[in-house]
Amino acid sequence: MPTNPMEHDRYAPDTFRVVGRRGVRRIDGERKASGKAIYTKDVQLPGMLYMRIMTSPYPNAKIRSMDTSKAEALAGVRCVLRYDDPEIFGKRAASTHGVEEEILSQCAYFEGQQLGVAIAADSEDIANHALGLVRVEWEQRPFVLDPEIAALPDAPSARPEWLGPSNHLALFFGAGAIFKFGDVEKGFEEADQVITFEACRKYHGLADAEPLAGVAKWEGDCLELWVHHQHPYEHKWVAHQWFGIPMNKVKINSPYNGAMFGGWNWIDYSMVPTCISAIMAKRTGRPVKWIFNRRDDFTFGSMDAMATRFKVGFKKDGAITAVKIRTIFENMAIQAAGHLLENTRTPNLESETALVQVNKGPTHALRCEQMPPSFCLTHVFNHVAAALNMDPTEVALKNDGVEGHDITYLEEFKKANGFPARDSLRECIEAGKRQFRWEEHRHAPGARRLPNGRMHGVSFTWTHEWDDTRGAAAAALMIQADGSASIIGLRSDVGVNAETAYCQIVAEELGMKVEDIFFRQGDDTHLPLMTPDGSCNLTTNGYLMQKLGRMAKQKLLELATTGFNVIEYDVPPAFPGLRPDELDVKESIVFVKADPSNRKTVEEVVKDLNGSIMRNMHDYAAIQHTSHPPVYVWTWHRQGRFGIEEGRHRLCRQAHFCEVEVDAETGEIEVKRVLNVNDVGKAMSPEGVEGQQYGGTYMGIGRNRSEEYIWDEKTGVLLNGNLCDYKFATMNDIGRIDTCIVETGMGYGPYGSVGVGEVVATVTSYLLDAAVYNAVGVWVDDGPLTPDKVLKALGKA
Amino acid sequence: MDSSYLCPYCKTGFVDFETLRSHLVSKHSGEPLPEPPGTVSLTINGQPFKMQVQPEWTLYHVIHDRLGFTGAKLMCDRGICGSCTVIMDGRAILSCTTLAIECDGKSIQTVEGVAGENHPLIEEYVANHCMQCGYCTPGFVVSAKNLLDKNADPTEEEIREELAGNLCRCGTYPQHPKAVLAAAKKLRALMGQ
Repeated sequence: MPTNPMEHDRYAPDTFRVVGRRGVRRIDGERKASGKAIYTKDVQLPGMLYMRIMTSPYPNAKIRSMDTSKAEALAGVRCVLRYDDPEIFGKRAASTHGVEEEILSQCAYFEGQQLGVAIAADSEDIANHALGLVRVEWEQRPFVLDPEIAALPDAPSARPEWLGPSNHLALFFGAGAIFKFGDVEKGFEEADQVITFEACRKYHGLADAEPLAGVAKWEGDCLELWVHHQHPYEHKWVAHQWFGIPMNKVKINSPYNGAMFGGWNWIDYSMVPTCISAIMAKRTGRPVKWIFNRRDDFTFGSMDAMATRFKVGFKKDGAITAVKIRTIFENMAIQAAGHLLENTRTPNLESETALVQVNKGPTHALRCEQMPPSFCLTHVFNHVAAALNMDPTEVALKNDGVEGHDITYLEEFKKANGFPARDSLRECIEAGKRQFRWEEHRHAPGARRLPNGRMHGVSFTWTHEWDDTRGAAAAALMIQADGSASIIGLRSDVGVNAETAYCQIVAEELGMKVEDIFFRQGDDTHLPLMTPDGSCNLTTNGYLMQKLGRMAKQKLLELATTGFNVIEYDVPPAFPGLRPDELDVKESIVFVKADPSNRKTVEEVVKDLNGSIMRNMHDYAAIQHTSHPPVYVWTWHRQGRFGIEEGRHRLCRQAHFCEVEVDAETGEIEVKRVLNVNDVGKAMSPEGVEGQQYGGTYMGIGRNRSEEYIWDEKTGVLLNGNLCDYKFATMNDIGRIDTCIVETGMGYGPYGSVGVGEVVATVTSYLLDAAVYNAVGVWVDDGPLTPDKVLKALGKA
Repeated sequence: MDSSYLCPYCKTGFVDFETLRSHLVSKHSGEPLPEPPGTVSLTINGQPFKMQVQPEWTLYHVIHDRLGFTGAKLMCDRGICGSCTVIMDGRAILSCTTLAIECDGKSIQTVEGVAGENHPLIEEYVANHCMQCGYCTPGFVVSAKNLLDKNADPTEEEIREELAGNLCRCGTYPQHPKAVLAAAKKLRALMGQ
């Protein structure tokens, strides 16, 4: 049955009993607060070995020869796997991203890359010592770090064996070499004013809390894995590809993840260390845990390492007539004009994309791949507003729309497709301006010096709420013999409180108390739930939970009205002579609608009503505590493909405001206040939404204020691969974060919801550029906005 | 003179085994068995532990990998993040940069101990959603507990200052002062202040 991409939830009860309720206790909270939650780094198994992989000291090099004899001879070393081992040499491991990666490469294309040899030993210390005993003869090659240089025809090849002489990479993620919409030259002719400017962002990374690790263990021909990864179920398929074993002999454990924001999980190499550990576990007959140390974790980054040239045409009233951009990306690209197309009425767009390989680690979606489109949208709007000396919120409202159409088109679309008729952007902006006291704080650029000598600035940015459109999942629900219900599905947890939200949705639909529903997400139950990706989870999995709750309720009420036979006697129904539609369930009580005093608990309904399931040993032997088929339901749901389904327009919006103080003598930016206004359609867990608003702000602001990988230009060595020199935000780096949740019901998810996991972290980054401009009257446009760059823009350095 | 037969109690050297044995019987008979080198006695969450440690083992390695108190976490590898925080003799310390062999006789409280005494911080952390991935949460709980041990009525400013050394990549920061203030209030009520 084909999935209708326009399907969305038109069922929206007027009042919700559980969904959207505050104060629902998070099911992972106590475990995490009391230190009981287990992460992959905590896993210890009897006889477990510790595996470390060699890393390249050079940014572009090939192993000419490698002597591992001293490492092999070291006491406590149990297995040494070399790149030229016949089992792996010349072979590539498949990953679920449709790509293959070398298991242990002979060549490195960035300093710090894992390659060459893996060593498993009795302890991590011994494995590290053994790595130090490996002698390698390297062939060093010229390397390139600057993408503009890498793009030149005579540039050194950044990855000769994979790319040949050209560093240009194939484009996907919607980034065609040239994307055209309308006629930009005509748009520029129609404009009252045309401006050009450049802006860029430097390479930054994930700096996950829990260093990466994984465990592999064989029991005969069965493989068991512990994975610190957002795609646990996919490891079954990948293990099947690596070893030829059937998926039904692969067991996955998905412990809690110590921070995962995409990034690593999308890197093709991310499943390979687990492959290596499984090979070594097979050879040694012992469980093997692979470990990255903190420095090893700095081997990949975010796919918004980019530089863009902008040309923007606009009318006096702020309506944008044409945007032409040319972007060069490092290592991964996406269509940078995406948000300009998807949620503005800009009639003419042209976007040229170049993607080059440089000798830095791979980049990918890191909360998230929408950073480039958000970057471009924010810069376009704020530069237009600055050029016109116009309120940027007015420029935003002027240009709200989709694919060249204005807001009236969207109003028609909402009506035609059964959406509530709400103007999301206007609601978000008005709520935000009120709460932020925008009019009171707004001023001309560089016009307000504070008593403490610093320059005051405010800014605004916006875009749509995205990515409710992707994913597929399966799950089940079972009511246990005591009336408690279990959600059954495998996924990874990254802490967004989704599991509690799923329990809320099931409780809402099934009519049970939320305390009676439970979910353990890390057990291998063979049913793959959508795992945290791209703000899509709650939408896809939420529909599943909604269906499961309804299906289970129907089955429960059928059981309540149907007698059953137990070997030698008949058990009458809990509610004899009634039909299922004459009953309802509320707060875990089944009752007759016409006479609510006629009621039984869910537990009483699912148990044998005589109070004793068996009359004798023969009964028990025959039925083993299940006197009737269990109330068990399962279902599958597909929400859509990646990106935009044709004609499925994004209707929810978000607005963000920021207040800064800039020290024009030191270049430091102090972020005093951020307000996030997110139209999430419908908040399942308001505290969950706020958590993303808070957390997203710290990451968003932080990554444009102080996060940057710094390489030594002479050696290509990463200089700040540690949490002291790579600075992500601490508690006192932002003064105050305020939140506002708008619920228009215009999402494609259950109850009209849409995701929020990535949006704030992505969009708030670019608040800083416009805020600094408002403070000091110059654009820095080189992110992150570190003090040296601010001073340079001010002409002081 | 070869005196490689060392008395494990007083370290006196003897020329042969028989002489050493006579010395042991005459001087040290009745004493408890000597402890092997590197033996440390720790009290962790009120429970006594005695074990032999290698000189290079950190306290984190001992409590997390050897003794199974997996609450303390390793995040940064150089004393930056606070995730490995435990309380030792009343002070919050970083177990990843503390050598176990220097902790002989010390009393240590881990996050498991804080939970074990039903400290109001645990429930307030849950209620205020102070965790997302939860990896840094134990470090915060222990740092906050240490603050409340010393200061029963902290201001929000003081809480932020005390917890500024704990890193959270998920950005749960705004929730922590709320939880600590609420826990402090509960504690004061329990103490009858």
